[in-house]
Amino acid sequence: MNIAETGVAKSPLQKAVGHLTDWEGFLLAVLLVTIIANASMSDVFLTVNNQINLFQLSIEKIIVALIMTLIIINAEIDLSVASMMGLAACAFGWLFHHDVPIGLAVPIVILIGALGGSFNAFFITVMGLPSLVVTLAMLIGFRGLARVLVEDRGITDFPEWFDALGQQPLIGPFPLALLIFFALLVFFIVVLHFTGFGRYVYMIGNNKEMAVYSGVAVNRIKATLFIASGTISALAGILFAARVGAVRGDVALGFELDIITMVLLGGISIFGGRGTLFGAVFAMLIVLNLRNGMALANITHHLQTGVIGVLLILSVLLPNMRGMIRQFRESRASAKS
Amino acid sequence: MNRWSIADLSPQALRLLALLAVMVLVILFFGTQIDRYYSTRMFNRVSTSVAIMALIATGQALVVLTRNIDLSVGSIVGFTAYAVGGVVTRFPDLNPAFAIGAAVLTGAAFGAFNGFFVAYARIPAIIVTLGTLALFRTFLVEYSGAKSIITADLPEWILSLPRTNLFSIGNLDIRLTFAVAVIVVVVVHLAVTRLRIGRKFYAVGSNPEAAVVAGIDSRRIVFLAFIACGALSGLAGFMFLSRFGNITVVAGLGFELKSVAAVVVGGVNIFGGSGTVIGAMLGAILVGLLDASLVRLQYMSEFWREAILGFLILAAVAIDSVFMRRLFAWRYARREKLQARLSAEGKAKGE
Amino acid sequence: MAQPILELRGMSKNFGMTEALKDFSLEIHPGEIHAVVGENGAGKSTMIKIMTGVYQPSSGEMIMHGERVDFHGTAEAQTRGVAAIYQEPMVFPDLDVAENIFLSHQGLGMFMNWRRTYEDARKLIARLGVALDEDRSANGLTLAEQQTVEIARALSLNVKVLIMDEPTSSLSAHEVEKLMAIARTLRAEGVAIIFISHRLEEVFEVADRVTVLRDGRLISTRLIGDVTADGLISEMVGRDASEFFARSGTQRRDEVALDVRDLTLDGVFSSISFDVKEGEVLCFAGLVGARRTDVALSIFGVAPADSGGIFVGSRKASIRSANDAMKLGIAYVSEDRRKLGLAMTMPVVANATLATLRKYMSKIGILNRSSEIETALKYRKRLNIRTPDVDREVGDLSGGNQQKVMLAKWLDADPRILIFDEPTRGIDVGAKAEVHSIIHDLAKSGVAIIVISSDLPEVLALADRIVVMREGRQMGIFDGETATQEAIIRLATGQSANEASA
Repeated sequence: MNIAETGVAKSPLQKAVGHLTDWEGFLLAVLLVTIIANASMSDVFLTVNNQINLFQLSIEKIIVALIMTLIIINAEIDLSVASMMGLAACAFGWLFHHDVPIGLAVPIVILIGALGGSFNAFFITVMGLPSLVVTLAMLIGFRGLARVLVEDRGITDFPEWFDALGQQPLIGPFPLALLIFFALLVFFIVVLHFTGFGRYVYMIGNNKEMAVYSGVAVNRIKATLFIASGTISALAGILFAARVGAVRGDVALGFELDIITMVLLGGISIFGGRGTLFGAVFAMLIVLNLRNGMALANITHHLQTGVIGVLLILSVLLPNMRGMIRQFRESRASAKS
Repeated sequence: MNRWSIADLSPQALRLLALLAVMVLVILFFGTQIDRYYSTRMFNRVSTSVAIMALIATGQALVVLTRNIDLSVGSIVGFTAYAVGGVVTRFPDLNPAFAIGAAVLTGAAFGAFNGFFVAYARIPAIIVTLGTLALFRTFLVEYSGAKSIITADLPEWILSLPRTNLFSIGNLDIRLTFAVAVIVVVVVHLAVTRLRIGRKFYAVGSNPEAAVVAGIDSRRIVFLAFIACGALSGLAGFMFLSRFGNITVVAGLGFELKSVAAVVVGGVNIFGGSGTVIGAMLGAILVGLLDASLVRLQYMSEFWREAILGFLILAAVAIDSVFMRRLFAWRYARREKLQARLSAEGKAKGE
Repeated sequence: MAQPILELRGMSKNFGMTEALKDFSLEIHPGEIHAVVGENGAGKSTMIKIMTGVYQPSSGEMIMHGERVDFHGTAEAQTRGVAAIYQEPMVFPDLDVAENIFLSHQGLGMFMNWRRTYEDARKLIARLGVALDEDRSANGLTLAEQQTVEIARALSLNVKVLIMDEPTSSLSAHEVEKLMAIARTLRAEGVAIIFISHRLEEVFEVADRVTVLRDGRLISTRLIGDVTADGLISEMVGRDASEFFARSGTQRRDEVALDVRDLTLDGVFSSISFDVKEGEVLCFAGLVGARRTDVALSIFGVAPADSGGIFVGSRKASIRSANDAMKLGIAYVSEDRRKLGLAMTMPVVANATLATLRKYMSKIGILNRSSEIETALKYRKRLNIRTPDVDREVGDLSGGNQQKVMLAKWLDADPRILIFDEPTRGIDVGAKAEVHSIIHDLAKSGVAIIVISSDLPEVLALADRIVVMREGRQMGIFDGETATQEAIIRLATGQSANEASA
């Protein structure tokens, strides 16, 4: 009697493969390997400072990646996030330059983010246009508005306390942005995995029409996500301005691809309905640690990006290969019988 | 029997007409706003910059037709521009045909890489090309060692290429690069409309399941689409080299999204199956035209250009969607009415 | 009779442990319409897939023109002249009719010859005796027109054996007539047609011979004149036909649950008026295209009507969305499980609680997972849903069990008015009986039930009253006790204009 029929006896190798193809498990393994490799390579890697620095360098991206995770699970995409970050940073600089107090400028900029998100949401839900197209147009549009605001100037003369907020530890060793990230992470894990809203996000991503027929307010949920995405991107833009201490028209240029890469690497299906925030967080940690480790090993930023690109392709190739191997086995088994 | 009406044209033909009409309106509008807008310089500037984007948009259109997307075109353009620039810098006496051929082949090889993973390993195109967008750019950086190609090192024939005139219509010079781009687009257009295999690009994007049932090898078609897109991007990379001369590691950055924008404005359905290559070219021309014209508006900061462009793209897509929906509803109602009348007449005769 | 054109001899096909076909033999002659009937899962689709080269048989042989053939794919079957058209046609919406016909042809050269393509397409369509413009985009074609395109495609491949797999199940009466005419035309040209249908009246109308399949075995092949409908049914089910459709007594009460007056959606349906009482089962009969689903969707708020009134419990209701309808206690169980009913890759429990998710949320929206699971387990027991655990993905369940999960979703909403759209389409006889008994129990508990069904015996077994629709108009209302199939069909097909009344 052959193994395929009984389905019990598994070789250790098969068992190992079974574990690896559970995507989040695989990510965790990769993460551990990365951390161990990095730690053995460099003494400073495991220091608190380096660990925080590792987060700080991409903190705006991972903040936006949280909401992007929900949007992709909802079977949509928002390509305009980085441009919104740029617009927010530039709007903030512009307001500051026009003597608006920072305490007022921040809420105004956040409001701009919400408005930009509502604009996307309107065309996606009311007009029924594909989000890929709408947010692609706004990737260009928001970036253009950012450039209109600051033209080719750079705004750098923020007050010291503001720059410090972006760069220095606030509570314990943690800077403000990192605290915001942790708070949002907890918030979104609860929202996506423990609330009815999160269930609706999955259900719509899985089968939008069915959700309509089940009385789910599909458009309202989609709109909420895009407005949240605009708002959080605006917040990330301000954090960027504070961390770098300078604002230019090309702030966060091209970040959308990094952000989407992190989300997809986390095992979130580009077709919606599948994936978890845990996977996304593992993917973020892998990307951050890889970049950090490679930087410690003097590997250039561009090569790091290339490695992450390969990782992204592998993230889908490996699970696909499991399917192919299974098919091959089945066809062989049926040929034998 | 029936009066001919413009609404009887196919949606694609209507789209092309609308694009041309918008283009004429844009030209007329800017003609009243900008001094000496109808000048040779303006035409030349637009035509040479459009030549590059039209090629990329054509390649992108082929991929989008098959229900895929290629986000790596910018990196392919950058890499081929740099690689070919490096080769001709070192061997200035190289035969131009060889240089161009190398550019096209390099691009095609990158396209084949994309196509293999999309078609045969069944990875969604957006993931593969997002990955290769980074990967191909990394090749460029590693290959270049962060050095740039400088105009001064390039042989004269490459640098004079963008200024080479093929012929002139009145005062308007038709530059060689523009002519080549138009010819390539027309050839590709003929290929997808006249070649049997070209029609399969539409079939695969239109209904992938039906394609399988009809015995079409969709994987091969998708593979070919990516190779063609890569090859056209390679050619565009060569033109990029000749136009700008200075090539850095950021060459072609952002072209992927611009080409998608041109394709979408040109009426190619982002979900595959419908649209024309000519439309994609017109989309590229329209976007390039707006781009170049807005810069010259006196009373407006040049920084408005990009913002306006983004909102115009969105408006174009929104209007197109609303208009097409209306058109279909109207045609449907008209056909129903016609059928009702015919069956009523049929009954009257029968009785 | 002459030599058969296609012959199956001792054909068997195993999938793992299950035998889909067992020692099945069939002879098809040129110029005959050969009906194959059997219940779902009887092995019809396996037979088709072997004939068209999708599957290879485990044992047995296929003979064409007296010569053994083995097909390794649909392309090979097509070149030998065997082609199939399916219930849901496969066309390319962005291409025109002529291209759709000729796209997959081999050996026509590299270049499209557009003029010849259009000419050939026109000739083929003319041969079928239908009116269809060869340059129309396939985008706006009706289902019937799409089938015509597929038949023309098969014809262009010089088809000798054409398999029609449930071609009529989504067609209107008029379209079915046309399709029958095409089948007869092809028969006259010497094409052999294998006609698979659930509608026995069609089989009797068009077929020359009929083969009954049950549990993968050949039961009988006979001339159509030698069989009766009852005989066929009992051969198909292996039991007596009458026991399946036993009527149960009414549980109708006096209170009107839903009252619909003059409901009109322009261009779709007009002046629909009926009421449903608590505990009543009201069936909507009619052919496909009668717009019954559209009426249901307007009551359910997905596609609201333009004018007319809907009264729920004697109060006028304004229903603009599914959510509005659900608040009024109306639920709609769709016929399209896959598209409109379930999220296939989500667990059973998430599907079962979707419509009532608010019940399981705390004030700030946190889900109570244990009470969700409790609900899922409750319905697993009550509806006899066969799944080892409720965290299983719905897509892994069988069709009948998926249907029950969908039902659980709506039962959990505790509806007072429950609309079933083709509740038993595509599920086997056993599951059908279970669904009927669930409907019966619900009515007993006082729920007002509307059932849209194209299966007349089902309608007659379930209904207290029957609304008959035709092309968006209400043709009449019958009393379930006294209605007959013939009377309903006469109204549904428009053969009798005088309206019956309940």
